[in-house]
Amino acid sequence: MATDQTDFQKQFEEWKAFTEKLIAKYPEKKEVFKTSSGIDIERLGHPERVDQTYMDKLGLPGQYPYTRGIQPTMYRGRTWTMRQYAGFGSAEETNKRFRYLLDQGQTGLSVAFDLPTQIGYDSDDMMAKGEVGKVGVAIDSLDDMEALLRDIPLDKVSTSMTINAPASVLLAMYIVVAEKQGVSQQDISGTIQNDILKEYIARGTYIFPPKPSMRLITDIFAYCAEHVPRWNTISISGYHIREAGSTAAQELAFTIANGIAYVDAAIATGLKVDDFAPRLAFFFNGHNQFLEEVAKFRAARRIWSKIMKERYGAKKPKSLQLRFHTQVAGSTLTAQQPDNNIVRVTLQALAAVFGGTQSLHTNAKDEALALPTEDSARIALRTQQIIANESGVTDTVDPLGGSYYIEQLTDELEAYVFDYIQKIDDMGGAVSAVEQGYMQQEIHQASYVTQKKIESGEEVVVGMNKYKLDDEPKPELHRIDPELQRKQIEKLETLRQKRDESRASARLEELRSGAKGDQNLMPLIIDCVRDYCTVGEICGVLREEFGEYTGI
Amino acid sequence: MKKIRVLIAKPGLDGHDRGALVVAQALRDYGMEVIYTGLRQTPQQIVAAAIQEDVDAIGLSCLSGAHNELFPEIVSLLDQRQAGDIIVVGGGVIPWEDIPFLESKGIQKVFTPGTPTKDTAIFIEKAVFERDGIQKTEKEPPKKIDHIGIAVSSLEEALPFYVNQLHLKLEAIEEVPSEGVKVAFMKIGESRIELLEPMSEESPIASFIKKRGEGIHHIALADDRIEERLRELSANGVRLIHETPVKGAGGANIAFLHPKSAGGVLYELCEKDTKEEE
Repeated sequence: MATDQTDFQKQFEEWKAFTEKLIAKYPEKKEVFKTSSGIDIERLGHPERVDQTYMDKLGLPGQYPYTRGIQPTMYRGRTWTMRQYAGFGSAEETNKRFRYLLDQGQTGLSVAFDLPTQIGYDSDDMMAKGEVGKVGVAIDSLDDMEALLRDIPLDKVSTSMTINAPASVLLAMYIVVAEKQGVSQQDISGTIQNDILKEYIARGTYIFPPKPSMRLITDIFAYCAEHVPRWNTISISGYHIREAGSTAAQELAFTIANGIAYVDAAIATGLKVDDFAPRLAFFFNGHNQFLEEVAKFRAARRIWSKIMKERYGAKKPKSLQLRFHTQVAGSTLTAQQPDNNIVRVTLQALAAVFGGTQSLHTNAKDEALALPTEDSARIALRTQQIIANESGVTDTVDPLGGSYYIEQLTDELEAYVFDYIQKIDDMGGAVSAVEQGYMQQEIHQASYVTQKKIESGEEVVVGMNKYKLDDEPKPELHRIDPELQRKQIEKLETLRQKRDESRASARLEELRSGAKGDQNLMPLIIDCVRDYCTVGEICGVLREEFGEYTGI
Repeated sequence: MKKIRVLIAKPGLDGHDRGALVVAQALRDYGMEVIYTGLRQTPQQIVAAAIQEDVDAIGLSCLSGAHNELFPEIVSLLDQRQAGDIIVVGGGVIPWEDIPFLESKGIQKVFTPGTPTKDTAIFIEKAVFERDGIQKTEKEPPKKIDHIGIAVSSLEEALPFYVNQLHLKLEAIEEVPSEGVKVAFMKIGESRIELLEPMSEESPIASFIKKRGEGIHHIALADDRIEERLRELSANGVRLIHETPVKGAGGANIAFLHPKSAGGVLYELCEKDTKEEE
């Protein structure tokens, strides 16, 4: 490349000018940032002369390849969204916890659904026994969704929903609740996880086989591109892949390979890449090895922007930007000496912040034992508030960028990921690799190696295989109302009596014929939920038409 | 001998199978035959699979909080189908306060997060052997010489020879009040030399030195199934000084065999918590 050195300097000066203009419009949190000693904090640390290598590898924040972040000012402009995943028991109880968290300064909602909801069973289904309201809130129908979101202004709060196989159904309910609040679907914002491939790989809440599942996903892409423009239609998740025991490189590689599969599927249905790519979001794990984690997030951005640009020819900057949510690693929490988990969470969260996350969930200390209590949930939120408000790490963009070690790790992770992607491409892409069990095997091997290292003491887990206590105090734990399933079943019975039964079954039949053809199912599902068809009924129809995935 | 067969099962809707898969693999590595059910099994399916596969034990894994409903149902279905002799254990995210309830419902043991997989394997093996009234036929010997104990009148006088002449590294000096001794450990290869100094006239080491002078006192064998071995030795008529293990240096479980049964040599069996070892 014969680009003149002065070109880079010029590009850099242009970036500075652009950033100043941006700040004039959207001011940073302070006019000047200073350290305790009065030293000016630069917006961006950088080498004295930016050269080709610097521009190719790191670039400038807000510019391709986005290694240093997706915005020019990052947290000086706006802190990440503090989004604590919560949900348990009934819709009413969860609504109370949501309002508590919003009062405590949380800035976005994140809904955990119970397993029957996630797998498309009503609370009175035989398969739901023992599971109703346990790992999240039980939602059977629009009635429950209205109770869940009561008095929460859906035009102001953005909501993330961890829902995959029945994502269309829950999104449909959210749209209808907003409609009843007088908020148009054009104005709601949030995220559905909607990432079925990692369900087959690692998380296990699949319903349908891969092909119809991919159709449901691309139907959502198409519907939202037109009608729900502020909604993130998928959150491509490495989180659960890592929780299942993968390495950092595998987390990145498999997530991005899945991302490629979704982009391919959407393009195959005739969507244009720049129409849906800006609404793709990612979700990563914040794990223990601090510096590798920081490098992982930076590498993720660089890899994705290269793929979108070079492989798909995407043009819009927003299509090239990898935006991500981070949750710290639940699997690193110990049941022993649970207070130590607060420290683990702090370090993991800090790595995510150094990595430039857009939103963050910090785990509660007691999650290896049960769902969090209100106290432990508050400490978890406070942890990120302390990082944001007290540590000063938000005052400069990508503070670790340029560290020899961080850059080396970033490069090596990138190389690892492109190797894996090549391998997966050779297998016919992520869907086919999943069907062959390739990722599952890789992850299992890695997790067994970790387990062996922990048991031999080679990998130290403080308080568990070293520095143990003989007499562990027993902490207070959160309990779920054991009567909940019965109450939820009663609610369902009442619902079925009061709704217009003939309308409900007509809607389900319309959905069935839609499923047999190839029209977009999203409008049909919205009609179903509006007439109070349940999650189990809607998924039941789709089960009959699409079949069920039973694992490999 | 026939291999122990175990069904690892995921009852309910929980999709977290990392633990189940790791335990399945560890039990296989331990020498058991393991069948894994896959996700989302109803209690009926699990019981049917267990009976059809003729397993000795079922390991249940649940991280979703549905254990109180699902685990007991499996035990009672096994009873109804005259398969109550199948040993049922469980693990996952199980609050400590639920464990007594589960045990009262026939779950023989609940393994919480952080349990070494070997503990699970040993528990299952023991429970199956006890149920079948069989002795472990493959007799495993002790693992290695853990240390050689040498009686000295004074550590201060004895140590310079080891440290300065043999260049061994002194690891720790510790008092073991139960034996009335102060001991010094030095690592040599995979074993150690232990010097024992009596802390009082009543110490067994004091009487040993009085009777036989300073010198080799005992040989300690590392063992990872000390209680079982003591029972076995005792049943075979070997005289024991300790019928059950006591706490020795470094928190290890130890027991001495009587020299009358061991050709005049005093043997110690010693079981250390391997995780504590550096």
